[in-house]
Amino acid sequence: MFDRRLIQYFDWGLAAITAALIASGLSTLYSATRADQINPQNLIFYRQMIWYGIGLGVMIVSFLFSYRKVDHYAYGCYWLCILLLIAVLLFGRYVAGSRRWLILGPISIQPSEVMKLGIIILLSRYYSRIGTVHGLIFRDLVIPILLISIPCLLIVLQPDLGTAIMILLIAGSMTIFTGIEKKTLIYLLVFGAGACPVAWHFLKGYQKQRILTFLTSDSDPLGAGYHIIQSKIAIGSGQLFGKGFMKGTQNALSFLPEQHTDFIFSVLAEDWGFWGSVGVLLLLLLIVVWGLNIAHGCREPFGVLMAFGISTLIFWEVVINIGMVMGLMPVVGIPLPFISYGGSAVVLMMTSVGLLLNISMRRFMFE
Amino acid sequence: MRNDTEKFTKKRIRFLGWGFFLIFMIIGGKAFYYQVVISQWLSEKALRQYEREFVYSGKRGAILDASGRHLAVSIDAESVGVHPKQIKNAAMTAKILSDALNISQKELIARFSSEKRPFIWVKRKVTPKEVSLVKAFNLPGVVFKSEHKRYYPNKFLASQVLGFVDIDNRGLAGIELTYDEVLKGYQDSIKVRRDALGHSFESEGTIVPDYNGNTLVLTIDAMIQYSAEKALEFAVTEFGAKSGMVLVSSPRTGDILAMAHYPAYNLNSHSDYDKNLWRARSVTDPFEPGSTMKIFSAAAAIDSGLCKPQTEFYCENGAYRVGSNTVHDTHAYGTLTLQEIVKYSSNIGAIKIGQFIGEETLYNTLRRFGFGEKTGLALSGESSGTLAHFRKWRKIDAGTIAFGQGVSVSAVQMIAATGALANGGALMKPQLIKAIVDPDGKIVQEFKPVRIRQACSPNTAATIRQMMKEVITTGGTGTNAAMEGYTVCGKTGTAQKIVNGAYARGKYVSSFIGFLPADRAEAVIMVIIDEPAKRHYGGTVAAPAFKKIALEMMGYLNIPPEHMNNRFTVSLGSEVEG
Repeated sequence: MFDRRLIQYFDWGLAAITAALIASGLSTLYSATRADQINPQNLIFYRQMIWYGIGLGVMIVSFLFSYRKVDHYAYGCYWLCILLLIAVLLFGRYVAGSRRWLILGPISIQPSEVMKLGIIILLSRYYSRIGTVHGLIFRDLVIPILLISIPCLLIVLQPDLGTAIMILLIAGSMTIFTGIEKKTLIYLLVFGAGACPVAWHFLKGYQKQRILTFLTSDSDPLGAGYHIIQSKIAIGSGQLFGKGFMKGTQNALSFLPEQHTDFIFSVLAEDWGFWGSVGVLLLLLLIVVWGLNIAHGCREPFGVLMAFGISTLIFWEVVINIGMVMGLMPVVGIPLPFISYGGSAVVLMMTSVGLLLNISMRRFMFE
Repeated sequence: MRNDTEKFTKKRIRFLGWGFFLIFMIIGGKAFYYQVVISQWLSEKALRQYEREFVYSGKRGAILDASGRHLAVSIDAESVGVHPKQIKNAAMTAKILSDALNISQKELIARFSSEKRPFIWVKRKVTPKEVSLVKAFNLPGVVFKSEHKRYYPNKFLASQVLGFVDIDNRGLAGIELTYDEVLKGYQDSIKVRRDALGHSFESEGTIVPDYNGNTLVLTIDAMIQYSAEKALEFAVTEFGAKSGMVLVSSPRTGDILAMAHYPAYNLNSHSDYDKNLWRARSVTDPFEPGSTMKIFSAAAAIDSGLCKPQTEFYCENGAYRVGSNTVHDTHAYGTLTLQEIVKYSSNIGAIKIGQFIGEETLYNTLRRFGFGEKTGLALSGESSGTLAHFRKWRKIDAGTIAFGQGVSVSAVQMIAATGALANGGALMKPQLIKAIVDPDGKIVQEFKPVRIRQACSPNTAATIRQMMKEVITTGGTGTNAAMEGYTVCGKTGTAQKIVNGAYARGKYVSSFIGFLPADRAEAVIMVIIDEPAKRHYGGTVAAPAFKKIALEMMGYLNIPPEHMNNRFTVSLGSEVEG
């Protein structure tokens, strides 16, 4: 039953990159929560440790069985995620004006995070059944669009625009990767452009403000632009070599907002300087490219699509988060994979890595 | 078919891999821009955010009178401020603060929410008692800073001399201003780290220094000052005058023992009073002295050797034409001796003296007595008065200057010059400061008496004193200053005031200047009453105040009477002219 090749083909490289990312993530989180002498948030670091413990278990489970089983249960996974999203709208905890968390005993989970993987699995299954060189035509796209719209709508209702956009980006990336027929692509683009003004109309005040702030950066230093300005100051004052572990003044003196969640990259950049930022950036790029390489090495469409989907998930989260922290993008609440605090995100990332390992170590099966 | 798909897919993956790489490069480039290219600028911005300079001030030194009584002291006060971002319950915080500190609650709440600064003062320099109420609540975001508050225990006493300070304890007027450098506490600052909510963290190893300022001991004696102010207030009120001043000095040292101005103002609430009351007019405001000047004209006549006390002058029977003006005496006199001219205060006689001794002699003597130059007293804005050079005098000036019109002096100049007559002709520098004492009680600097010059010979001074004694005797203009037990030297003055360049009818400066005991004087006292409404002769308006102050002083200074049973030849309280 057990194939010795599973060990032989185990992707130690990916495991090592993941371990390095977790290490830098935990140390940065330690600095972000404990450098503040007045309100040290000791619990957050331990919670994250526990989540990584759980994540490790989930990761091992995710590569022990063959990922082909995922293909089999893809729709089940998807509908389970939808159920969770509906549940969060009904029973979710109300925090700062939105319902994003579902309380299950001692833990709280964020179904929208889980949905990211759900949509990857779903689309991998759907597109792997089509297999075309000419590209998808409109008829092929009706069902995916429908299946993508349901979770997006449910997430927007929370409201959590950032995650909804994230799901659209992943789905879009996977669709385009599969290939769309030229004419259909043009129609879609025209439709998308037309939908933008309508979407703007439905945005909430603070969301519009964030986009405007991004467009006119320094206009209101104490208002909406405060986060970005403080983030820039923290990053820049880290200079080439940084201020040292836990020595970042902007972090320790609470000038940085959301320093353990969305803006954690600023803490890292302030503590470790340019070389630290580039180092972590390279690690993140490495894991994305590694994922792509797994897709490249996989000989079976479901695995290719799933590996690709996970890579783009990591890619987009990194680009949107760091882009926002550096003022390249508007402020949207997207966590930085492996580094930001957040249980659901940690488990999601560990599961994703588990699935990548799974695909990687079973590539021989299709030779 | 399947191979095609696979090839197609792999091509796309490679392509996307490069795309992803490119986007990461852009992010890395941005990191390079922030952390290398403009990192210096951003670092400075960070520094400005978290570093704050805290200034600590030592206590301002006290001002004492000559006997060590406290005239100005620094007391501990507390200031209340808030870090709006740290406030947990704005309504409750505002309620407690408004109740304890007596400020509008609505206004406070508005300031808490509208202020974007991390720190605002609620009320500065309140008493520790008021603050203790607030402290008991231990409200988050409310902070207290110990400061020092200037307090003047005697409120109105010597207000124009002492002056006051601003909220940051910087001297703004009077001695507080001129001796600010001596009195002020040293300041030291330390760099403090501050977080976004306004909490401060003191850097390690910083010691808060407490450099207190020096104490200033004045020559002013609070008791004499008080007695002078009382007598002055009485005289001004009694005669319905506009204002008045009294100077008391010690002739041998030049020390100013009292410098009173009426109306005065409360030093603890100076801003409630008219600014014009703030300055020490006896130093800053020159006036035409009138007849008191005659003693110096007489000194010029005697000292030059041109006249003797018995030298006679024809006084034109009360009206004398000088140029286009006619000068009148209050009584028509025929021939008067020099001594009589001083005693009866004849203006025509003074003109004759001036004309007889000549412009140069008069001018030089007046200069020797210090007129036309600043005394260098420790108060700002001192006036030198106006005594034009004799070559610039018009024909009538020698005459009018001789009886104190056409020349202006400051009260301080006048008392210093008179002091010279009491001091054997030696002009002493008027002084307000006796010593500077450091916080440990060590004397840093002591101001010894400074002899400026010999203004006239000791003999001349003695002769003039003799004439001034006569002023107080029967028939003289200063009989109201006569007192039992002490011989007084004095001179009255009644000067017409110049308003808009012309002598104004009915507006006078009435004065009396004198010293006692006559030949070993302990005190020179000058009383000046501005625009008395009911009477205007110096002998009537100012002399009684002089007497009141002089008597109290002699008792206070324990100066034994020279003669006990002297016959009193003068009926007190009568109207006398001069």
